[in-house]
Amino acid sequence: MDTDVLIIGAGPAGIVAAIETASKGLNVTIIDESNLLGGQLRQQTQMLQSLPSPYQSMRGFELAQDLTNQLTQFPIRYLLEHRIIGIYANGSLGITDELNVFPIMAKKIIVATGATENAISFPKWTLPGIMTIGAAQTLVNRDFVIPGKSAVIVGSTDFAMDIIHQLIDVGINIKGIIEQQPTIQAREMKKVNELYDIGLPFYVNASIKEARGIGEVKEVDIQLQDRVFTEYVDLVLVDGGRSPILDLFYQLNCSFGFGDKLGGWVPSYNQSFQTSVNDVFIAGNATGISVHGALLITGKIAATSVCEELEVLSREEAEKQSAELWKELESREYTDVFQERIKHIESYKSPMLKNQFIS
Amino acid sequence: MDKTKIICRCEEISYEEIEEVVGHGAKTFDDIKRLTRCGMGPCQAKTCTNLVAMVIHEQTGTPLSEIPLPRIRMPLSPIKLETLATNSTTFSTVKSVLDELELEEGRVK
Ligand SMILES: Cc1cc2nc3c(=O)[nH]c(=O)nc-3n(C[C@H](O)[C@H](O)[C@H](O)COP(=O)(O)OP(=O)(O)OC[C@H]3O[C@@H](n4cnc5c(N)ncnc54)[C@H](O)[C@@H]3O)c2cc1C
Ligand code: FES
Repeated sequence: MDTDVLIIGAGPAGIVAAIETASKGLNVTIIDESNLLGGQLRQQTQMLQSLPSPYQSMRGFELAQDLTNQLTQFPIRYLLEHRIIGIYANGSLGITDELNVFPIMAKKIIVATGATENAISFPKWTLPGIMTIGAAQTLVNRDFVIPGKSAVIVGSTDFAMDIIHQLIDVGINIKGIIEQQPTIQAREMKKVNELYDIGLPFYVNASIKEARGIGEVKEVDIQLQDRVFTEYVDLVLVDGGRSPILDLFYQLNCSFGFGDKLGGWVPSYNQSFQTSVNDVFIAGNATGISVHGALLITGKIAATSVCEELEVLSREEAEKQSAELWKELESREYTDVFQERIKHIESYKSPMLKNQFIS
Repeated sequence: MDKTKIICRCEEISYEEIEEVVGHGAKTFDDIKRLTRCGMGPCQAKTCTNLVAMVIHEQTGTPLSEIPLPRIRMPLSPIKLETLATNSTTFSTVKSVLDELELEEGRVK
């Protein structure tokens, strides 16, 4: 199978990149291992603020639907329930539909495989009922399954605050929010204050000492600075932050840099969102964890660069378009994240990890 | 801290088991993997990479940015051997650990 542009990952960043490249007349294939387009947006019911024009603020799953509708107006080949499992010696990628493995050869690749949630370990964290907070969000909003009756939450980021609101809406009793740091981590205080107002207890400088239960979690010991107390819950939802998914970049022999605010190890890329491997571009949360508006813009910038390289966009046009998009990215993204992104780009030529893939 | 806590849930490797091999000189995820099976479970280290990096950091003081990633090999996610083997006569095999072996008359050299 041959294509001009292969896009891996049909989340918001991948879909935007597909639309942009296809609208310039390129032959585009987008693949995703899931059975629906939209990536992790599909379980997000919170209102997304600060989306770039022409999008008005809407809920995550609504944006997924909107992007899907746009995508299907172009002759884009989309392969759902297909996953990339590796790379062949001649540079083509191995795709499986679970029956066969077949190669796909692309002139340019845009990898938009998103991010994964990090675990937090404490004694008995592997008991059923203990999961990441995003897993609970997926169960409730996408699968319509309520995972438990009462929960403690570990972590206090904006991400956690949004999901706590969603869990309360379906009747889950939140017994407390535990934050290891001395202050609440969320930036949007409005959502935190709403939770204060309904009487939710926040504990800072706190952590889970131990969970207990046979076959499922029944109780947790919560360690505060001066004492330990026990809560009786059937759910413990942890927010250990998110990190870019790296496996495909690694196989493609991309270099990596490190950025704490971007989520840890991040593939190296330049201002065109081109990785250290010439034909491989990057978009979305894989470029560093950010807000939705920013993710969409990274997809557009990567697509613009690919269009220029494949000569369906002149150099001047591409440069002009990119410069505008970069301005918009700066205005949508939290300043500290944007600055770390710039630092990451500056280290493009001197990556911390390179030539990792030896076989 | 209770060091009996699990770090690699797939292979049930605890904090103290990792601490022990780090004490014996293991510096990277792959060192620890070779000594303990940590990272060799069904998730192929997707869950424990960052947790193990934290243990190395806590035990040795090495900054997280100097603890390299584990080697990530094909297949990126589990696949049936039957599927992997299908009609692959028209193209070279997927790059894998097997590529590192040199064969002579069908046997490993
Ligand atoms: C469970 C969960 C809940 C989340 N909830 C929120 C939230 O409430 N708020 C928030 O701001 N952020 C949330 N996020 C973060 C999320 O990363 C972003 O909101 C956003 O969806 C990222 O967009 P993206 O296009 O970069 O990647 P994604 O939306 O993650 O899309 C990537 C796609 O790539 C596909 N993929 C990955 N690897 C392969 C492969 N090898 N082969 C084929 N397909 C592949 C995946 O199936 C996925 O559909 C959540 C993340 C997770 C994991
Ligand atoms: S948690 Fe270590 S291999 Fe899965």
